[in-house]
Amino acid sequence: MNAKLKETILNPIFKGNPITVLVLGICSSLAVTVTLKGALVMALSVIVVCGISSLILSLLRNTIPGRVRIIVQLVVVAMMVILVDQILKSFEATYAIDKQLSVYIGLIITNCIVMGRIEAFALGNKPWPSFLDGVANGAGYGLILIIVAFFRELLGSGTLFGFDILNRFGYVPNNLVILPPFALILLGCIVWVQRSIQKDLQEK
Amino acid sequence: MEYLSLFVKSIFVDNMIFAYFLGMCSFLAVSKNVKTAAGLGVAVIAVLLITLPVNYLLNTYVLAPDALVKGVDLSFLSFIVFIAVIAAIVQIVEMLVEKFSPELYSALGIFLPLIAVNCAILGGSLFMQQKDFLNIGEATVYALGSGLGWFLAIVSLAAIREKMSYSNVPAALKGLGITFITVGLMGIAFMTFMGIAL
Amino acid sequence: MNTNNNVYTVIYTTVIVVIVAALLAFVSQSLKAKQDANEKAETISQMLTAAQYGTKAELDKLGNAAKLDKYAEEIEKAFVIDLEGNELRELGTDRNEIEVYSPKQLKRQNYNIKGGANKTGEPELPVFIFKNGRTVVPIYGAGLWGPIWGYISFDGDLQTIGGAYFDHESETAGLGAKIKDDPSFQAEFVGEKPDFEAPQSEIMHIVKGGAPKDAEGKSVTDNSIDAISGATMTSQGLDAAIDTWLEAYAKYFVANKPAKEHCGKCGHHHEVEEEVEPKAEEE
Repeated sequence: MNAKLKETILNPIFKGNPITVLVLGICSSLAVTVTLKGALVMALSVIVVCGISSLILSLLRNTIPGRVRIIVQLVVVAMMVILVDQILKSFEATYAIDKQLSVYIGLIITNCIVMGRIEAFALGNKPWPSFLDGVANGAGYGLILIIVAFFRELLGSGTLFGFDILNRFGYVPNNLVILPPFALILLGCIVWVQRSIQKDLQEK
Repeated sequence: MEYLSLFVKSIFVDNMIFAYFLGMCSFLAVSKNVKTAAGLGVAVIAVLLITLPVNYLLNTYVLAPDALVKGVDLSFLSFIVFIAVIAAIVQIVEMLVEKFSPELYSALGIFLPLIAVNCAILGGSLFMQQKDFLNIGEATVYALGSGLGWFLAIVSLAAIREKMSYSNVPAALKGLGITFITVGLMGIAFMTFMGIAL
Repeated sequence: MNTNNNVYTVIYTTVIVVIVAALLAFVSQSLKAKQDANEKAETISQMLTAAQYGTKAELDKLGNAAKLDKYAEEIEKAFVIDLEGNELRELGTDRNEIEVYSPKQLKRQNYNIKGGANKTGEPELPVFIFKNGRTVVPIYGAGLWGPIWGYISFDGDLQTIGGAYFDHESETAGLGAKIKDDPSFQAEFVGEKPDFEAPQSEIMHIVKGGAPKDAEGKSVTDNSIDAISGATMTSQGLDAAIDTWLEAYAKYFVANKPAKEHCGKCGHHHEVEEEVEPKAEEE
């Protein structure tokens, strides 16, 4: 693997993280981080959707008329998400998974990470790097989701993945932590930590 | 009177930013100064005002079960139709503004593509579908209220950020970090409106 | 290739829209039967949960076919009533003709109950009576992000709640989603007595802290549930949904309440029957 591809994969995880550096996908990161399980499901879905939509739109990139590109992008992404939803819903074995996932369908379609990466990367690059960029951005997004969800579930419900952790020691769950504003405050702290390590990201 | 309570409610109690946390990305990115923030706010109001009634009509007369042909339920298409309508209207508005008012275009133009992916706009249409508005008037009032609520939120955040540039914030927290925390605190403050029944 | 030319743009957009619409319509039509079957089995398992035939997790271990078998086995009678409590028609209960109300059908009835522009006809309210003596009725309403619905079962006295199960389309995971995911919230409903003769908003209460307490810390009323903290909107929505639907059923419940002395349908007899029930017939 050459250096450029490696950079494409590693950059979004930390240095160019979609949430803390590019400020994309904030809405969904507030809604799904109350529990670790929800964060994990959402992270996996975004990795898949972002990777595949980047791939498809990168293949189409030379044919899309400039003036209607946003419509085409949105329609392709929405169609894919709805197709996956419809197919999962049809089989007995996957119906239960779909019931878990359907809650996030709307959030996945409107997640600006997907659109942002298509616009910024996939429309100007070959399919394979675009696919990797989509997956890596999904992963960088997922990483932040999981960090935030870890603290929110631990402090807000006293559990992790639904298992009692702090509750065993008589911890009283803090209801403020499960409200969306606290997720913003946590995100602020994550940005603080990241920029203390990586000084070149600091704003003047 | 009902229109008035719906209007006030959608500005304060059901505020798109502080009650539902929708449209955060552009909210955070474009709130560095009051002037650009106000520009984006106006654009959001305009797009909501057009897309919400259009989607209301589509939802009532095309997508709802039995609306078009008896026994046909097109509601599985609602996501894609709403998104396509929003993207199309944003693009048409962009072209019209560009043609008829180049000045306004240079002020607003850069925000218009951002709005197509602003989840507050799609959120407005999805809430409309759920709130079962009785007529298009209610849908329009709701659109106006939600847009104004969004405008209010982004302008107040921009004002705070302008003031904050004179404060002594730790270097690593400057900019994005402190903005996240500020929005979190504003969100907690706005929660006081939640208890109000109108 | 010049992709900015008007004709090209129009043709390209049209082709994309036609392909997407055709693909989605094809997939949705061809999979509809399977989706409906899954949804029906899910609805049945939710009603069985509310009627206390097991926890949702236990019932979900059964396959679709077994859920339908169990329902056909345990249902005593299912029918539709109007707002006055009069029976309009019976619902199919045979294994291959099971009729239940899907969330979509409940949505339509919800419009009919509430009236207004979306009303399509007079309300038709389903009632399901199970062999253990419990009567199950649905509720439907709006949560924070999307619809919420559920099933509440009443004991033979038609006053005491015997069980409840709620579901939602897109409430926030960990907050509003608790109406479905938190069995202890659903368990709170057991033993409560909705006040069917009260005005609509007073039938059931879902409020912070639950029922008002007297000096000794005992609940003063028995129709109040503790709201889910952090999920004000979902809790309010559920409260409104329960009030709206139980009011619609109120006349039926009041008229069919058994006299106190004769508690004929109390269910003990049926419970004995249940223990020796034969295995579901293989089809």
